[in-house]
Amino acid sequence: MKQRVQPRTLIVCLSLLCLLAVWLSLALGPVSLPLFDTLRAGLRLLGLPVAGDDLQQAEMILGQIRLPRTLLGLAVGAVLALSGVAMQGLFRNPLADPGLVGVAAGAAMGAAVAIVGGSWFGGMPDVLAPYLLSLCAFIGGLGVTALVYRLGRRDGQTNVATMLLAGVAMTALGGAAVGLFSYLADDATLRTLTFWNLGSLNGASYERLWPLLMVAGGVALWLPRRARALNALLLGESEARHLGIEVERLKRELVFCTALGVGAAVAAAGLIGFIGLVVPHLVRLLAGPDHRVVLPASLLAGGVLMLFADLVARLVLAPAELPIGIVTALIGAPFFLVLLIRGRS
Amino acid sequence: MMRRPVALIALCAGLVLSTQALAAELPQRWVSAGGALSEWVSALGGEAHLVGVDTTSQHPESLKALPSVGYQRQLSAEGVLSLRPDVLVGTEEMGPPPVLAQIRKAGVRVELFSSKAELDAVDENLRHLGQLLGAEQQATALATGYRQQLDGLQAEVKQAQVGQKAPGVLLLVGHAGAKPLIAGQGTAGDWLLRQAGARNLAEHQGYKNFSSEALAALDPDVVVFSDRALADEQALQALLKENPALAASRAVREQRLVSLDPTLLVGGLGPRLPASLRTLAGAFYPAAKASFAQ
Repeated sequence: MKQRVQPRTLIVCLSLLCLLAVWLSLALGPVSLPLFDTLRAGLRLLGLPVAGDDLQQAEMILGQIRLPRTLLGLAVGAVLALSGVAMQGLFRNPLADPGLVGVAAGAAMGAAVAIVGGSWFGGMPDVLAPYLLSLCAFIGGLGVTALVYRLGRRDGQTNVATMLLAGVAMTALGGAAVGLFSYLADDATLRTLTFWNLGSLNGASYERLWPLLMVAGGVALWLPRRARALNALLLGESEARHLGIEVERLKRELVFCTALGVGAAVAAAGLIGFIGLVVPHLVRLLAGPDHRVVLPASLLAGGVLMLFADLVARLVLAPAELPIGIVTALIGAPFFLVLLIRGRS
Repeated sequence: MMRRPVALIALCAGLVLSTQALAAELPQRWVSAGGALSEWVSALGGEAHLVGVDTTSQHPESLKALPSVGYQRQLSAEGVLSLRPDVLVGTEEMGPPPVLAQIRKAGVRVELFSSKAELDAVDENLRHLGQLLGAEQQATALATGYRQQLDGLQAEVKQAQVGQKAPGVLLLVGHAGAKPLIAGQGTAGDWLLRQAGARNLAEHQGYKNFSSEALAALDPDVVVFSDRALADEQALQALLKENPALAASRAVREQRLVSLDPTLLVGGLGPRLPASLRTLAGAFYPAAKASFAQ
């Protein structure tokens, strides 16, 4: 048996890494601010009386651009990773990812409808128009997941295998719908759709951030409470039932948390792949399968990976920017492969 | 006796100061997002002001040396701000909107222009750019000249059509010849074809892929091809190799194939357009070719 990292060590290390990532995410960007200015501007934003009339630019960049972006990255990373744990626990399969219950396909479909069909909604009130894309993605994700869940139910029981197959079918259907909309799209909307599919933390603003932060907070508080139940589910459904777990309720909660969390994350930042699949896996490779450790550790690790990926995304081509979905896969996949190979030998 | 020199000095000082104030109000550092727009800025002598351009700004060649702020629809707020611009100019395609809001909040002027394929839009854009650059007269002259060139071309096309009926044309936009997209109604490509006096045989909306059979059935008189990966002769060879159905068409049998710079198809009407239109018109009306070559 491979030596595992002590849970406490892992959590402490990840917390420190998370602080480092937040600091770097606030301190680094295409606009180079002196370290001291960043510090002073940060203190001023916290409401401390620090002298500095020369800090307007720094305060603006820190408060209006980097801070919302950092919070968005943390929330999206954490929610995606937690949903990944929930899905892998539900399907008792390490290959499960949040996309499996159709939430990503549904969100992509909603986004395609919003981007390509935006003009068909002609009479939208101006208040809603900027949020149309996020709203459609969220509703699409939730709707398709609800359908998949419904398809997996028979006689008051949820059959996980049926649900998985229904998810695969709905994902294919969603892919077809997105394909159809891409065909109908003109050049400009097509590019918007392509970029949306790669995800981005660019242009984060507080108005868009609050709904996601609330959802992320809810999911992050709720899922760890179900860690024991998830552990019991690892043994099998009937075994968990014998241990006194209300399995049907647990399944419902897991699907609901995933749909809500991933739906909100995708609505805020577009489709960002890979985090939900690999972060829980990484954590399990390091610390073993106990969900009491895997859940909080995945939350932290998801946020950390997201922030580092975003740093690369915004710095490597500055002043232009890479879509973050490319970076998460580029950083994460080789790292994951190395761990896999080392784990096997 | 002291009064007059003092007054004179005051007057001179006032004049100098006021012109300085005027110059200070004009934005000095520009970021331009939009191919045609960057070309117009350069044509108005503003290239020295540009500190960054987007990926669609490929002409003149010297713009490629400037820092790239990425694709016009995917600008990054901090990226643009890091170039410390006074003004960001772009078409209504520029975005995303939250990023533009952030850039505005940072005190950078964001000026929007039209990317419509209309002469009125060009007039208005040039007037606006002229104001921003302090080159109004130059801008008016450019706009008038542009309109004259295009109107003149229209007249010549009309004249050529007396001797020959408008040829049926397809515009194929491809990447190294494979699976070309056909420019349909409502596209910039369609506008170009019509301006140069062609009849666009494609009746669908937007850019769509055709089966080779459909291509053969349309039997165009002239094929205009626009390739993003290969240059003229190579692009033609690749196109014919990948689409054998074309070989039977009248256009290929009579060797009436014209290449078109793909950068002309995006981002509104630019200054290089009239010359390209003349080339196209010359290919559409071989009898009047000499007149279009001027």
